[in-house]
Amino acid sequence: MARRNTLILLLVIAVFALTLWVCFPLRSSAEITYQGSFSANTTTEQKSAILDQAIVTMHDRIEAQGIKNYGIEKQDGYRIFVSLSDYTDVDRAKQVIGQITNFTAVEASVQGEKLGRNLQLGIDLAGGVKLVYQVTFTDNTTDPQAVMERTILTISKRIDRFGVTEPVIQQLGSDLILIQLPGFTDIESAKNLVEQAGYLEFREVEKNNSGALVYLRDYLNSTTNSFIDTNESMPRLFYYQSTTDKNGGKLVAILSFNGTDLVYSDVNGNPVDKNTLTSYGDTPSWIIARGDNGTPLTGSLLSDAQPNINSTTNKPEVNIQWNDEGTIIFDQLAVRLHNPAGASGTYDLKYALGIFLDNNLISAPQMVAEKYEGKGTISGSFDLAGAEELANLLKSGSLPTPLNNPIQEGITSASLGAEFINMSWKAGLIGLALVMIFMIAYYRLPGVMASIALIFYATLTLAVCKLWPITLSLGSIGGIVVSMGIAVDANVLIFERMKEEFRAGRTLGAAIEAGFHRAWSAIWDSNMTTFIACIILYWLGSTAMQNAAVMGFAVTLFIGAIVSMFTAVLVTRTLLRSLNGTGLATKIWLFTGTGGKKQ
Amino acid sequence: MMNIIGKRPWFFLISGALIIISVISLVVFWFTPSIDFTGGTLLTLKFEQPVEYSTFMDKLDQLGYGEASVQMTGQTVFDIRTKEPIENQQAVVDELTASFGQLADTPQVFTLAPTQGANTTRNAVIAIAIAMIGMLIYVTYAFRKMPSPFRWGSCFVIALLHDILVTLGLFSLLGHFLGWEMDLMFITGILAIVGVSLDNTIVVFDRMRENQKNGVSTDFEVVVNRSQIETLGRSLNTSITILITCIALLLFVGGSIQNFVIALMIGLIAGTFDSVFVAPGLLVVWDKGKWGSFFGQKKTAAVKVPTENQ
Repeated sequence: MARRNTLILLLVIAVFALTLWVCFPLRSSAEITYQGSFSANTTTEQKSAILDQAIVTMHDRIEAQGIKNYGIEKQDGYRIFVSLSDYTDVDRAKQVIGQITNFTAVEASVQGEKLGRNLQLGIDLAGGVKLVYQVTFTDNTTDPQAVMERTILTISKRIDRFGVTEPVIQQLGSDLILIQLPGFTDIESAKNLVEQAGYLEFREVEKNNSGALVYLRDYLNSTTNSFIDTNESMPRLFYYQSTTDKNGGKLVAILSFNGTDLVYSDVNGNPVDKNTLTSYGDTPSWIIARGDNGTPLTGSLLSDAQPNINSTTNKPEVNIQWNDEGTIIFDQLAVRLHNPAGASGTYDLKYALGIFLDNNLISAPQMVAEKYEGKGTISGSFDLAGAEELANLLKSGSLPTPLNNPIQEGITSASLGAEFINMSWKAGLIGLALVMIFMIAYYRLPGVMASIALIFYATLTLAVCKLWPITLSLGSIGGIVVSMGIAVDANVLIFERMKEEFRAGRTLGAAIEAGFHRAWSAIWDSNMTTFIACIILYWLGSTAMQNAAVMGFAVTLFIGAIVSMFTAVLVTRTLLRSLNGTGLATKIWLFTGTGGKKQ
Repeated sequence: MMNIIGKRPWFFLISGALIIISVISLVVFWFTPSIDFTGGTLLTLKFEQPVEYSTFMDKLDQLGYGEASVQMTGQTVFDIRTKEPIENQQAVVDELTASFGQLADTPQVFTLAPTQGANTTRNAVIAIAIAMIGMLIYVTYAFRKMPSPFRWGSCFVIALLHDILVTLGLFSLLGHFLGWEMDLMFITGILAIVGVSLDNTIVVFDRMRENQKNGVSTDFEVVVNRSQIETLGRSLNTSITILITCIALLLFVGGSIQNFVIALMIGLIAGTFDSVFVAPGLLVVWDKGKWGSFFGQKKTAAVKVPTENQ
């Protein structure tokens, strides 16, 4: 018995040491980020070369100063991370690296320097943007869950490329999507990033039976109720481009067939009176560009998209790469639309391929070759940032359903959150100290053991939250407070029982064993009901309540309750058993205020 | 030996009075709902310089947000709540900074669509109801070996309902006089009560179960009284330790989790009281089948409790 207890004691001490190490690492690592800035006409290849050169320089300078255990890597094509396994090296490393052309050190983040520093914090504590969207399904949606999953995947891809750390994109209930972007300070750009439909399609200008191009006036003058090209039944887009201002352009109308009539509508689907359109008579009618088998050419057939600076024109563009099917269709279109005069031919809408993103014409280049073998370029009136954004959008694909007007949006400030965390730490530590004083004053030596177990409880819960990792929010702090109460409660139950056993005249050892044994059923039952409450709360928080605070509360309460069963029962019992047999065990006043009096 | 169970009419009286006050307060005052429930916008601004409340309100009135409720923390932080979403936040912020100087921090904004707010209330009620049914089932199961386990489960849930009702009622009273708004943190606090209050009841019931099994007395009332006395110290100590942490949180953090802590504290005190004094009493009344007349029977219980060990 005694030997087994010693083994458990050693195990407990080992686990305790481990949690302390997780919570307070002896040596903290650090990371310095260097942000590159390049002139607008630097190509990707040139950037890459600059990055590599900078890394070599950094290596040389660090090596020369004898700093050990470091790593340097490049990321996202414009950033360099220098990681140091010992954070005390940060200032020295910064100093020895010094000035690097094209790069500035933007931040040095120290990991684990302070307790709780690298706990994962929710949006309400860390600051950032929170959005909740309600997804509307069309009548013919057969599988709403699949639409939800694709929407979430698409948003995740877009946000990933934006370089947000620890974003949350989560389904709530059956039709809500929660998006949390920690550290984001611009709510409008966050909304744009999410709401952009990202539907890329390719169109050509409609032709009549004799091969002449069709314009809006042809439809306005027409008396028949059918499309001019009867083979194509999908809507026509009329995109007006001013001749004087090449950038000025807008979608004037969408013409669709509702089964009996041709109807004009605007971009939002509202009907448009055809009499208001007469001034746009020479706007071409764009129809969907299809391959020989009728498959439309859309963004879903892309395999890659990369921003680039054109080496001859010095203008930003997006290089696209088609997948196998897209390659075939694109070449079929090239054969049909190509300008026989080649690149030197005059621009003619007859040979143009219109590139439309969300019903907006980006550009309408000429088809100058008959074979592109899956490669293409989109140029337009965008800058390098615009090209990067477009490439990101094209790679992540289009939203399966439109998203707009979030039902919930919020932006929280990082400094208010930080203030809140600091105050919570303070309150938590003071609360813990007061509880420990109370326990020791009331229960004497067992109170000391319970206090040790309580410290163990606090560090173990923190360690679990760090390692899992659990995202802490306002609700989680509530859960930790309540579970701390549960942890104390288990010990109070046990000690009260021990007192009773003392009064009944038992020895210390017997009182300890009986105390734990007889308190167990109450501890078990109360923890079981807590678990039930947590499970129900978590489930409702993620479905009906749609509330991250409730979920956070349930998760930390659950973890805290499990940890408390371990610390309050196993740890306290092991400590008390170890005491039994030492000299302290003979001093009964250390164990009970009533001195073991019999009634 | 103390006779707790014999004084049960007094405890029922106290609980009854609390419940009546709570119900009246709920009927008359209800709650001041926060934008979590009504939808709308919460804009938090922190200015570098102290700003006078009345001049701030005048400026807001000029901007067309005279009906907004404005809460001031310290001299520089303003919480502006409007029922209708603020359409052009940036313009409003610009106007305010033009009058009152720079902000010390980026503005915090939270907007909720009105339709969503209505769902929150309904869902919170559903959450608490389902949690209670879960408890009823578990306690009935845990006390399955006792005679009529369903009674134990029911008294357990009645105690829980009592705590929640009293918390809601007192908060509504406080809300009316101090202008506190009911928000999601308060609801989370109510849910926390479900978690904590049941522990107290479980412990008392567990002791009653054990004493009954050990054959302490054939009279259920004696069994209950003894269990109440034995668990009294533990119930008080546990509640005191949780209250200590709550008070620390209230004093040092306050602000956004104030409502959570207040709800938890009210629920905790009510919960300790009813799990020790009321719920066991109810079981005894149920056991003896004297529903109608217990208020007039102060003498019976006091006589029946034997004085042991003397």
